[in-house]
Amino acid sequence: MAETVEYNGKSFDVDEDGFLLDFTQFTEEWLEIVMKEEGIAELNEEHRLVIDVLHDYYKKNGIAPMVRVLSKLTKFKLKHIYELFPSGPGKGACKMAGLPKPTGCV
Amino acid sequence: MQQGKLCNRIPVETKDKLKEILGDKGGIQYYKEMESLEVDVPALKDLLKRTLKSRLKTWLNSCMRCGLCADSCFLYIANDKDPKQVPSYKIQSTLGELVRRKGEVDTQFMMHCMDVAWAQCTCCNRCTMYCPMGIDTGVMFSYLRGILFSQGFVPWEMKIGSGMHRVYRAQMDITTEDWVDTCEWMEEETEEEWPGLKIPVDKENADIIYTVNAREAKHYPEDLADAAILFHLAGENWTVPSEGWEETSLAMFAGDWEAAKLQVKSVYSAIERLKPKRMVVTECGHAYRATVTEGPYWAGIKSGKPPVDSLHYVEWVAEALRTGKLKIDPAKRIKEPVTFQDSCNYIRNAGLADDARYIMSQIAEDFREMKPNREHNYCCGGGGGLNGIGRYRQERNIGLKVKRDQILETGAKLVISPCHNCWDALRDLEEVYKIGIRWSFLKPILIKMVVVPDHLKLSAE
Repeated sequence: MAETVEYNGKSFDVDEDGFLLDFTQFTEEWLEIVMKEEGIAELNEEHRLVIDVLHDYYKKNGIAPMVRVLSKLTKFKLKHIYELFPSGPGKGACKMAGLPKPTGCV
Repeated sequence: MQQGKLCNRIPVETKDKLKEILGDKGGIQYYKEMESLEVDVPALKDLLKRTLKSRLKTWLNSCMRCGLCADSCFLYIANDKDPKQVPSYKIQSTLGELVRRKGEVDTQFMMHCMDVAWAQCTCCNRCTMYCPMGIDTGVMFSYLRGILFSQGFVPWEMKIGSGMHRVYRAQMDITTEDWVDTCEWMEEETEEEWPGLKIPVDKENADIIYTVNAREAKHYPEDLADAAILFHLAGENWTVPSEGWEETSLAMFAGDWEAAKLQVKSVYSAIERLKPKRMVVTECGHAYRATVTEGPYWAGIKSGKPPVDSLHYVEWVAEALRTGKLKIDPAKRIKEPVTFQDSCNYIRNAGLADDARYIMSQIAEDFREMKPNREHNYCCGGGGGLNGIGRYRQERNIGLKVKRDQILETGAKLVISPCHNCWDALRDLEEVYKIGIRWSFLKPILIKMVVVPDHLKLSAE
């Protein structure tokens, strides 16, 4: 089930879909791994804001927020969130932020 | 009798319990606890006595072991014709054995049954079409899932999913307030391009009540906006309920019969409260099965029909195209080769293949059927909850090979998939096998090609 991903001397425990199993393992190296997968060339401040918001919400609630909440807290329109994370807020952004894979039909 | 803290016979009923089980990422502790979860044999015997009725007994006894079901199963084909993947073997060695032993089974046997019931059968019901005795193995596996759930032998994500339904009346953590807020947000996001577009909440006596899949509200709200745009263009008098809007049922996939009933009753209550003429359900296969095909029986409706006429989204689109409510601009039809993924739950099991073909004839110039197709098409590879269960990721990925080869044979690079589950399987198929395909629901495709009536055009145009 669990696998380990090595990158630049750091190792990460991931689930079968490549999501981080342990939120506390999140580092800049993790961001680099997922950026490549998601085809994001460079992280800007807006990417960082989305990631920070996801972190805060997850720490408080133990689950990823709905996109509506993400939009409210970042003030980004839905289209813009998709421009930042082409594979979508539910999958790409959560993965990058080190959140576990959302459960259910996702 | 020993039970785990997370893995036990008790359904998840509170937010705290949900948080606790979600905190066990990937279900590592959960599955560890399952290894020492004892079977409550008296309860199992009692359940069999109460629920194993003549239809299932007849099916179990009338199987001649002829093997005609073997080649009908995509998992048998994908696994190099492994005899252990023959549908009749799969059900006889699990449910059949459990019944023959009169419920005198142990933990190891139940875990084996779980692995077969969720990883080796997607309840696609294709084998039923080829059984000379008319045995419905998919239905029997659904029944087995119910038995396994009652004893706590259910995949981690399924336990969470059914818990979500119990707590939120949705497969995800969405409150009434969250849902209504998302509807309002989607109105705001579309108002510039579509002035006057509304997502009417709790409107009484509308022509259509529209119900969705919770993922649309939680992760993909553009789907709701797309639905609203098409209803707007078609001039429909429609509404969404503030409560009872979720038509999916992970509870059904989990075998949590009680939660499945609670969930579908919430939709039927919305219908009774708002008195719409008809219901339209979104582009989701299992939701249609749960709310339109099976739900009435769970809710104890004797007619076997939902409280109002209910249409899958493809039926609504086909009707709107036939009646001219939606008109396609012929110049904007899809020109490249395109194929269609038949969802088991409403094509094979509810007979909507003709509506899907009519839509394709209207929107595509080079439509290519998969082989086999329509009622005989194979499961996408991720049905019955399989897409969402991490424990069976390898088994799911092997199964995807059949769909991959069907698509490659058509030569099409675009797959129309009006089912969330199929859509996910296609996305994952591309991620795993990289065959260079794209996939889409109908809504975004239609929005690009329907004629906008003059009175709805932006004044600047």
